[in-house]
Amino acid sequence: MDVRPSPAQQLLVSTAREFLRKRAEDPAPWRAMAELGWPGLLIPPDLGGSGGSVLDVVLLVEELGRAGTPGPFVPSAVVATSLLLRAGTLDQRKRLLPAMAAGERIVTVALLDDGGTFDLDRLSLAVDPKGRLSGRKLLVEAADVADDVLVVVRAGTDVAIFLLPRDRPGIARVPLDTIAVEKVFELRLDAVAVAADDRLAGGRDTVVAALEAGALARTAEMVGAAQRVLELAVEHAKTRVQGGRPIGGYQAIQHACADLVRDVDAARGLLHRAAWKLEEGAPATVDVAMAKAYAGEACLAVARRGHQIFGAIGYCDEHPLHRLHKRIFAASLDCGDVALHLETVARAIGLL
Amino acid sequence: MDFAFSASECAFAEEVRNFLAVNPVERFPLEGMDAGYGSGAHSRAFMRALADRGWISMCWPERFGGHAKPMFFKLVLFEELALAGAPFGPLAGSWQTADAIIEYGTERLRGEVLPAVARGEATFWQGYSEPDAGSDLLALKTEARRDGDHYVIRGHKIWSSHAGIATHGLVFCRTSREARRSQGFTMFVVPNGTPGMDIRPITSLTGGVYHYEVFLDDVRVPADLMLGPEGQGFQALLNGLDSDRFWGRFYKAPALERVLRRLVEYANTTRVDGAPLARDPVIRRRLAAMATEIAALRVLFYRAACLLRDGAPITYETAVAKVYADETGQKLARLGMDMLGPWAPLRAGSPGARLDGEISHAYLTSLGHTIAGGTAEVLRTTVATRGLGLPAESKRS
Repeated sequence: MDVRPSPAQQLLVSTAREFLRKRAEDPAPWRAMAELGWPGLLIPPDLGGSGGSVLDVVLLVEELGRAGTPGPFVPSAVVATSLLLRAGTLDQRKRLLPAMAAGERIVTVALLDDGGTFDLDRLSLAVDPKGRLSGRKLLVEAADVADDVLVVVRAGTDVAIFLLPRDRPGIARVPLDTIAVEKVFELRLDAVAVAADDRLAGGRDTVVAALEAGALARTAEMVGAAQRVLELAVEHAKTRVQGGRPIGGYQAIQHACADLVRDVDAARGLLHRAAWKLEEGAPATVDVAMAKAYAGEACLAVARRGHQIFGAIGYCDEHPLHRLHKRIFAASLDCGDVALHLETVARAIGLL
Repeated sequence: MDFAFSASECAFAEEVRNFLAVNPVERFPLEGMDAGYGSGAHSRAFMRALADRGWISMCWPERFGGHAKPMFFKLVLFEELALAGAPFGPLAGSWQTADAIIEYGTERLRGEVLPAVARGEATFWQGYSEPDAGSDLLALKTEARRDGDHYVIRGHKIWSSHAGIATHGLVFCRTSREARRSQGFTMFVVPNGTPGMDIRPITSLTGGVYHYEVFLDDVRVPADLMLGPEGQGFQALLNGLDSDRFWGRFYKAPALERVLRRLVEYANTTRVDGAPLARDPVIRRRLAAMATEIAALRVLFYRAACLLRDGAPITYETAVAKVYADETGQKLARLGMDMLGPWAPLRAGSPGARLDGEISHAYLTSLGHTIAGGTAEVLRTTVATRGLGLPAESKRS
């Protein structure tokens, strides 16, 4: 047992951190990230990817979360990529994955609908008897930049996944106004014709696995953002002087900072354990659920406590804290919220 | 990154489970209270049974009678014993004392006390705290005065766990007055029954006895029962704190897991208004969240274990883990009390007691956990100052 990242993994982290520090002001670092092979981390080399591992992705997304880097990494390079890898037809995979790996093509995922849950049993949208989709998908990230969208719908007792180009007639994107950092859209589908070759080969199991990868990535994003909040809060506590000494000299602030460390370390521990297990090929559904549920509470607590430590300055738009906070909040909801993942845990520990 | 135990560690876990299957933990007579830390009650018979397997001394160097097993074997043993609810209360203290004796014990300690530890016969109480020296240990007043080849100890120790049933006290004394407040302390291994030692039980809020106070009235101790460097005892104590916190709490996560399993079983078999308690959405969610916290706690300890094993720097890791262990235990006991409802306060043995009265006992004992071995407040300050580099709060003048 050695729960710490290996030297190679540490190198990945330090490289990513340095790159993201230099690109902090770049509003669209996607192309530069593609040159480093990041969007293609999960894609095998024969499809143009860099053939990385789940652990690599987790460590990288921690850094993206820490830096607050915008972009469609999780929906495109993790969830959509997982769906296509597992269930894309040969044509779909060859057409999309090399371009995605090169950063030339972005694919997003539309799953949530009026039920408002990632519980696949409660999807409401389905293909009508005439082979058309009518209705809406909610809270779709990156819909403005995505070239294609993978729409997950109910299909009897199973689910179906359709790959639709952004300009398929009948698809409209309505921007939503959110406190979250990333833009989100409502996808309106008005008698959108779907053909058999739009459909991916997989169903429920494919989506479950892709959501598992997505949940893990969102957990990494939360942990990275919470790590940044911790760093900023400690720095502030050392330098902000009140009453003749740094506020970090007061136990009230010291103890708050000690709790931030616990929350971040514990959340990261469960995250790394789940990622390691997935990488080992062992069943990791419960580990991912635990990691996501735990981070959803702990990292949000870090952000909220961070606001208290920062005092008034943290209330300003120009201060980075609220963006990290909003990012954590959004990540805690995507790919299953705390309640959904705790229900997975509840069943796993044997509750009837 | 690797979260798995090795093949030999897994094989050892299997060996321990087999031992526990043949020797059910309920069969061992107990003589001291279970203080809820996760290591169970004090049972000499169980300690001897562990000794018979060679497990107490398994990680010691061969020249001290051990088998030089890797440190992780101790983790494996702790996990299996805690999951089974075994009474191994004194084991962590025995290991820590033995390690100190191996590191800097006198020939006499190595020749007499160490083999008794290996046989499961010697167990230890800590004579650290005093009535006016709790979190501020340096305020202690107990003195050891040199008299020929002996030291004469005079003072008053308190909150010494199992002192009345252990065999030796680790008595922390001032041996000289120094300009620096942290200098001039020395540790002695004092056999119980030495003339002048008066050990009195303190009945705790559970109704049972776990702590004792010890009056030392000119207790004569041979100089070669000194443990560690003379006058540098406080530094030695500080150096050992991270390791003490780790070994004193490592078994908490598996012990809590055992209690959680009992609560899950209780939720599944208890019906409220015709439906299993397990279907109560609040209880269901709280149990799942507890399982998650216990898993997180375990990983924190695994990380600290890797650092300890490799001799890597530790600044805050064991302090964080200890506080989290204790607060998670309090939270689980609280949840258990909520689940048991009107039956929650009933003690073990009472008619109507649920889950053998284990929860009400855990609820009470857990109150002391965030105080003993460094209060949660002292430890959070340690995390902030030593771990994060925040400035120390200025001292009173």
